[in-house]
Amino acid sequence: MTATVSHARLRTLFALFAVATLVLSARLAYWQTVGRGELLGRATDQVRSDQGLEAQRGVIRDRAGAILATTVELRSLYAIPGQMTDLDKSDLRGRVAAAIAPILGENPDTLRAAFESGAEWLFVRRRLSEETANRIAALRLPGLGFELEPKRLYPNGTIGAQVLGFVNDDGAGQYGVEGRYDDLLRGKAGRLVVERDPSNRELAVGLRTATPAVNGQDLGLTIDLAIQTAAERALAAAVQGEKAAGGSVVVLDPRDGAILALASNPSYDPGRVAAATPEALRDRAISWTYEPGSTMKAITVAAAIDKGVVTPRTSYNDVGYAVIGGRVLSNALGRAYGPTTVQQVLERSQNAGAVFVASKLGAPDLYSYLRAFGFGERTGVDLASETGGSVRPLAQWYPVDLGTIAFGQGLAVTPLQLAAAYAAIANGGTLYRPFVVASRRDADGEHRTAPEPLRRVVSEQTAATLRAMLTSTVDQGIANAASLKGYSVAGKTGTAQIPSEDGRYVDDAYISSFAGMVPAEDPRMVVVVVLERPQSKLSGTVPAMGAFRAIAGDALRYARVQPDRP
Amino acid sequence: MSAARTASWEVRSFALASGVILAGFLLVLLYLAQTTALSAAGYEVQRLTAQRDEVRRQNALLQIESARLDSPARIEADAVRLGLVRAATIRVVASEAVAAQH
Repeated sequence: MTATVSHARLRTLFALFAVATLVLSARLAYWQTVGRGELLGRATDQVRSDQGLEAQRGVIRDRAGAILATTVELRSLYAIPGQMTDLDKSDLRGRVAAAIAPILGENPDTLRAAFESGAEWLFVRRRLSEETANRIAALRLPGLGFELEPKRLYPNGTIGAQVLGFVNDDGAGQYGVEGRYDDLLRGKAGRLVVERDPSNRELAVGLRTATPAVNGQDLGLTIDLAIQTAAERALAAAVQGEKAAGGSVVVLDPRDGAILALASNPSYDPGRVAAATPEALRDRAISWTYEPGSTMKAITVAAAIDKGVVTPRTSYNDVGYAVIGGRVLSNALGRAYGPTTVQQVLERSQNAGAVFVASKLGAPDLYSYLRAFGFGERTGVDLASETGGSVRPLAQWYPVDLGTIAFGQGLAVTPLQLAAAYAAIANGGTLYRPFVVASRRDADGEHRTAPEPLRRVVSEQTAATLRAMLTSTVDQGIANAASLKGYSVAGKTGTAQIPSEDGRYVDDAYISSFAGMVPAEDPRMVVVVVLERPQSKLSGTVPAMGAFRAIAGDALRYARVQPDRP
Repeated sequence: MSAARTASWEVRSFALASGVILAGFLLVLLYLAQTTALSAAGYEVQRLTAQRDEVRRQNALLQIESARLDSPARIEADAVRLGLVRAATIRVVASEAVAAQH
C-alpha cells in the first residue's frame, strides 16, 4: 500500500518537474530567440554610452601668425546639493556656499538659496578662469564638480573685433570672419559609441563605434595686428578728441587688395558681446555708407584724364560757383579763384572746378567710370554684412547730378569701396577685390588665397598722373596736414554733408575724411580715415589727416618701408 | 596480470582526465589573465588619453596667455604705465648707402 502511494507521488512529482522544466525551457527558448534582441538591447543600454564629439573650432591668426581667436575648454562649476553632506550626513550647503562665494564674487545667501532650491543638479558658474577653477578645486568641497565647456577667446580684447566678429551662445559665428567663414571654422561633429563600466570608464573589450569629429579649418588673415592696433588707437583718439559719432579706418595693400587693418568706432569686445550696443556691432568700414564729398574729386579727375578730355594743366576761370541743370553749385565758403588748372582743382578742392571737369567728361562716362571703380556694388570682400553703397542708374540722374556727384554728393559709398578705388590709382590702374583671409589650413595642408584683379579701371599713365596730382595736393594744397616726414604722401580730403530722412541735408553736421597712399612714388598702403559728425565741423578733415599720419607713420616704420624723401 | 592491467588502465585514465582538466584550467586561466590585462591596459589608455587631453588644454591656455602678453595694445598700455614715451625721431639708414660701403 505504502509502495503504491509512494509511486503515485513520485509520478506526480515527476510530472510537475517535467512541466516546470518544459515551461522553463520554453521561456529560455523564447528569450534566446524571439526575445533575444530586447534583452540584448536592455543589457547594452545599461553599459553603452552614445555621445557626440564636438569639433574644435578653427584658430584665426593674423598675417604674422599671432592668435586673434581660438577656442579652449574651460571648467564650468556644477553642484549636486544632495551630496553636500559630511560623513555624519550633516547638511553642508551653507558652508559650501560660504566657502566659494568670495572666490566667485557672489553673495553667499544667493548661492545657498540656489543650493536649497530643490534642484538635483545645477551650474554654479560656467567657463571659469583657470585660477578661479583651481582655487575652488583645491577646497575639495563635497557636492561640487567641474565639466569642460568650449569657449571662444580673443586674446587681443577689442582689437580687430569688427573684422573677427564673434561666436554666439549656440556656437555659430556672427559678423566678420567668424560669420563669413562659419562653415569652415566650425568643422564637423563626430559620434562615439562605447561600453562603460559603473565608474563611467570606457571598456577596452566591448562595443566601440566611432565617427571622428573633423576639426574646423584654421584661417590666416591679411590683417596685421600691429597695424590694426595702430589704426584703432588713432581712430579712437580722433573720435574721442572730436566727440564724433563714429568713424572708420581702412588700410589696404594696393598691390593685391589685401586688407591690413579695418577699424570701426564705436566697437565692442567679442568676448562680451552681450554688453555691445547694436551700433557698436556695425562695421562702419563695410556696412555703413556715406556721401564721400571731395575725396570723390580724385575719381572724377582720373576719369576725365583717362578719357582724354582734360589734362592737369587744362584751365578754366573760377568765379566761385558753377551753374548746372539750373542749379548753382558753389565752392566751399563761396570763394572765387580766377584762372585755375585741373591740378589746382584738387589742390584747393574746388567744387566749381569738379563741375567743370565733369561737364567736359559728360554724365554717361562719369557714370561708367564710377561703376568701373566699383561704386554702387559690393566689393566682394570676404566679410559678412557688406553693403554695396548707392550710385543711381544713369537714367535716374537729373542734370544737376553730374555736378554734385563730381564732388561726392548724391551717391553713397563705404570706406572700403573708396579705399579699393584709391588702391587702383595707387597700383597703376587695376581694381582688386579686397580680401581678409590669406590662407586656410585643413588636414591636406595650407591653401593660400590668390589675389583677384577684377579689371583695369584707368591706364597706368593716368594712375601715375593722378598720384603726382594727389602728391601735390598734400605737398602744396589743402591736404598738407597729411604730410609725413621722410615719405611722399598722395591724398585728398573730403567733407560731405549728411542727408536726412526728408531728403535735405542736416544743418551744420558733416562727415570728414581723408584718403591717401604712401609712399606716393611706389605705394605700399592706402589709408582711408572717415569721421562722422566731428566737433570741428568743416575743419574735421584736420583730425582725419592727423589719424592718417599716425597710422601711416606707425605702419611704414613697422613694415620697414624705406623713406623716399630726405 | 589482469589486475595489473586494470590498475594501469585506471592510472592512465586518471592521468589523462587530470591532464585534460588541468589543460582546461590553464586555458581558462590564460584567457582570464589576458582579459584582465586587456581591461587594465584599456583603463591605462583611458587615463593617458585624459592626461594628454589635459596637457593639450593647458597648452592651449598657455598659448592664449602668450598671445595676450604679446598683444601690441597691452605692451603699449604697460609702456605708458611705466612712463615710456614714443621716440620723437627714428633714424633710418638707407640700404643703398650701406650697400655702397661694402
